[in-house]
Amino acid sequence: MKILCVCGLGQGTSLILRMNVETVLNELGVTADVEHMDVSSASSMQADYIITNSELAKSLGDHDATIILVENYFDQEEIKTALEKHLSQ
Amino acid sequence: MQIIQWLANNFFGTPAILLGLIVLIGLLVQKKTANQVISGTFKAVIGFLIIGSGANVIVNSLTVFEPMWKEVFNLHDSSLGHFIGQDHFISQYGSAVTLAMTIGFIINVLLARFTKLKFIYLTGHMMFWTTTIFAGIVIQAAGHVSFGKLVLFLSIVMGLYWTIQPALTQPFMRKIMGNDNIALGHTSASVALLGALAGKVFGNKENDSEKIKLPKGLEFLRDSNVITALTMGVLFFIGAMVIVFKGTPGAESLIKKAGDQNFVVYSIVQSFQFAGGIAIVLMGVRMFIGEIVPAFKGIATKIVPGAKPALDCPVVFPFAPNAVILGFLGSFVGALIWLVIIGNTVGYIFIPTMIVLFFHSATAGVFGNATGGVRGALIAGFITSTVVAWGQYIMVHFLIGSTIPDTAMWAADSDMFILGPVIHLLANLFF
Repeated sequence: MKILCVCGLGQGTSLILRMNVETVLNELGVTADVEHMDVSSASSMQADYIITNSELAKSLGDHDATIILVENYFDQEEIKTALEKHLSQ
Repeated sequence: MQIIQWLANNFFGTPAILLGLIVLIGLLVQKKTANQVISGTFKAVIGFLIIGSGANVIVNSLTVFEPMWKEVFNLHDSSLGHFIGQDHFISQYGSAVTLAMTIGFIINVLLARFTKLKFIYLTGHMMFWTTTIFAGIVIQAAGHVSFGKLVLFLSIVMGLYWTIQPALTQPFMRKIMGNDNIALGHTSASVALLGALAGKVFGNKENDSEKIKLPKGLEFLRDSNVITALTMGVLFFIGAMVIVFKGTPGAESLIKKAGDQNFVVYSIVQSFQFAGGIAIVLMGVRMFIGEIVPAFKGIATKIVPGAKPALDCPVVFPFAPNAVILGFLGSFVGALIWLVIIGNTVGYIFIPTMIVLFFHSATAGVFGNATGGVRGALIAGFITSTVVAWGQYIMVHFLIGSTIPDTAMWAADSDMFILGPVIHLLANLFF
């Protein structure tokens, strides 16, 4: 399973999101290849899931991956809820 | 003795290998699988090497932009003189930078553990850029410095900066975020604080930016590739048009550089090269920081579990999105004004990098709005462009011109500009 964590510039914020996502996935017992990047790079990458906020999701509408919306990248509870909802389907 | 020499040349002397080693150790300490250790180490090393190639693309387009605008402003001083350049500088001093980042981080953790300043700086890419720029300043000030001394000096400076800076911005962060859980770890701290101050003095706190309605459709601003290419495209275009109609010998020799191609077309392509080079460098930084920071975080969590993470500036954006735009507006206007003024007075061609201007003025805008509403945000943005424009001039002209001005012109920013002269002084003192 490949997951992309996306932010505006792809440098700091998406990395924090990625670290939080990896922590949550660990808790949920899920293994995945998690990467972080900016919107431009994400649009040309193959993935199963893309985690980003609603503003940036607008630029990724055509992407094949399932978009998981997280507004606060620093809130592990929100990340956990969003991931549980999508991964259990 | 020969073994030590061999180790020094082939491990510590080769930045990519030293970096690989640090990441390898970090991944092993985190008890990652063999698969993750190998892929993580390789990604970090490759990312680091990508930075050098991207840097060369940027330099090539800057060597068209700079002379072009000097001709536009009728300046006859020699353009960027001889300098080492980011690619070669990183090959020579990259090991010192990487090691200083690591030891500086450890100092940050120790200070967080044993003092009241419980902040862990986790904005990896800024750790890299700040340490690199400071190294560039030190080498210019002191000529050659021994590896050990350079690492020691930078480690201590960075360790202190990464612990103290978040503490200085925290009172405002508490106000902006409504809690005390997260700190700011970003080089926009200086302009953010100046913006907050200006907001308090000149602003109107009651007129909060989030109460007003701003036009939608500004989403394309979020794509840094687009906005960089757009701004530089416009500037290259304007500059090229002036050159084409100028008819001076200087202009003629510039036009010859384009060969058979129309000079305006050639110039616009250069602006896209500039954006492309930045995209390449950022990709490289992302790859290697993506491996180092999780390792750092893992270590920090074990040693100082209650510490506050000092994070990248976008952490404050959702709390005042209109202030973000107002701050950027203030700095965009300011940047263009300063471009013209600085070009015509001291004869320096200011490179208005949108990435720096956006993130710094956005952060300053949020801080300015917190104390001074709409007016505070706008003024904070203008202050940001002032610091960035004059700071870039001072740094490139006086502090870093013989080492990595090419890096400073697009990657150096607020805190680096403000602390730069201090670093220069200290380097002269100690070396």
